[in-house]
Amino acid sequence: MIKLENITKNFTRDGSKQVILQDINLKVDEGEFLCIVGPSGCGKTTLLRMIAGLEFPTTGHILEKDTEISGPSIERGYVFQQYSLFPWLNILENVTFGLELKGMEEGERVKKAREYLKMVGLSAVENSSPRELSGGMKQRVAIARSLVNNPHVLLMDEPFSALDVQTRHKLQEELVRIWKEEQKTVIFVTHNVDEAVFLADRVVVLSRNPGKVIKTFQIKLKRIRDRTTTQFQELKKDITINLDVEL
Amino acid sequence: MKKIIIPSILPVSIIVIWAILTTFTGLIPQYFLPSPFEVFESFESLLVNGQLLTDTSLTLLRVILGLTVSAAVGIPMGIILGWSQKIDHLTSLTIGILRPIPPIAWIPFSILWFGVGLESAIFIIFVGSVFPILINTMDGVKRVDKVLLETAYTLGANQRQTLIKVVLPASLPSIVTGLKVGVGVGLMCTVAAEMIGSNNGLGYLIFTSTSMLDTGSAIVGMLIIGLIGLSADYLFKKVEKDVSW
Repeated sequence: MIKLENITKNFTRDGSKQVILQDINLKVDEGEFLCIVGPSGCGKTTLLRMIAGLEFPTTGHILEKDTEISGPSIERGYVFQQYSLFPWLNILENVTFGLELKGMEEGERVKKAREYLKMVGLSAVENSSPRELSGGMKQRVAIARSLVNNPHVLLMDEPFSALDVQTRHKLQEELVRIWKEEQKTVIFVTHNVDEAVFLADRVVVLSRNPGKVIKTFQIKLKRIRDRTTTQFQELKKDITINLDVEL
Repeated sequence: MKKIIIPSILPVSIIVIWAILTTFTGLIPQYFLPSPFEVFESFESLLVNGQLLTDTSLTLLRVILGLTVSAAVGIPMGIILGWSQKIDHLTSLTIGILRPIPPIAWIPFSILWFGVGLESAIFIIFVGSVFPILINTMDGVKRVDKVLLETAYTLGANQRQTLIKVVLPASLPSIVTGLKVGVGVGLMCTVAAEMIGSNNGLGYLIFTSTSMLDTGSAIVGMLIIGLIGLSADYLFKKVEKDVSW
């Protein structure tokens, strides 16, 4: 379980203090798929980075299984918005990167990496260079590279935002399937309401200036969700209205 | 074919014009500039008596040894200075002052410290080539994509692992560029060092043959240096392509 207690985050820009996030209280349950939506500049990426341990809150506490987060850890996998594969390694080597750091023996880590490459449907390209892959494939490798380490939680920062709609929808479906198989906690940041409704158990809406939780939506629709149903569209509308108020 | 023909047009024309001005018309007297035929004769005799091979290999050996020392010092130091802002601050003034001093200005001290010989030449080459290697490495480290660093951290890498497994390979293109520049500078330094503090090598060949009015041999030496530089450049450009991520 991940717990955020009274999180505030300030940045100082040109000498003036800016409140990015204010009074964030949030609990993420084991195995939950949580989406954080908000307009750009609302601090949602900063929030995710703090959970990852890449940044630290100005005040408040972030706890993972009751232990304060003190830095990045292999326990919290992170999929970046930008493509983040190591270009000097091939696909298989990218996926084994974390396992190798852990000191896992080569045969074992290759076996594990292949298992996860298969899961994201990329067994055929294990010897390719990242530059030969499309954007969607790169992000799938990044997901496999995180999950192969068996993290406690998977943090995703708009991982599909650079992809075209068809690819994005396909990857969203795959992500839901993988999440069900792996039963991982996922915290997924996006500005795309459709994406949040398609993926999440719960959607947290953040406001801007400062970033605060304005509303939370439970989504009980059965997966894989059908975008054409009225419930789906209604939920989208409800969330969007909350977003628009703040724009 | 075009790849070879077009770049060859100019050198061939220069040789033809050079031959016309010297041998065929006598417009330029021989003591002023030897003709291409005389240069070729010098080349032949230097080749036959083995001096060319000896001097070329000695110069190459010095360049390679000097560069090895420069790389062994410049690359790790560049990584440390690129990584740690504190150490960069600590050393920037010192490096800033030492860097513009021409390597040749170190020759008196290198002779004083190391005498005439291999060590002295290596020192001069080191002084000349360590800075391009250091500065390029530093620059490469500073420009490593932050996302890749953070990716490594979230995959469980500590600082040391990040430096070796991410920073080093990510800055490899800049390191190779530094080495390429270093070879050029190193070659110039060797020849300069050989002219003053040595009794063999291509620099020595050029210097002594000119003073003995054997200008043909001097040009042979100059052209060999040019060819070595060209080959090194070609080689490093190939490596640069292989590591351009």
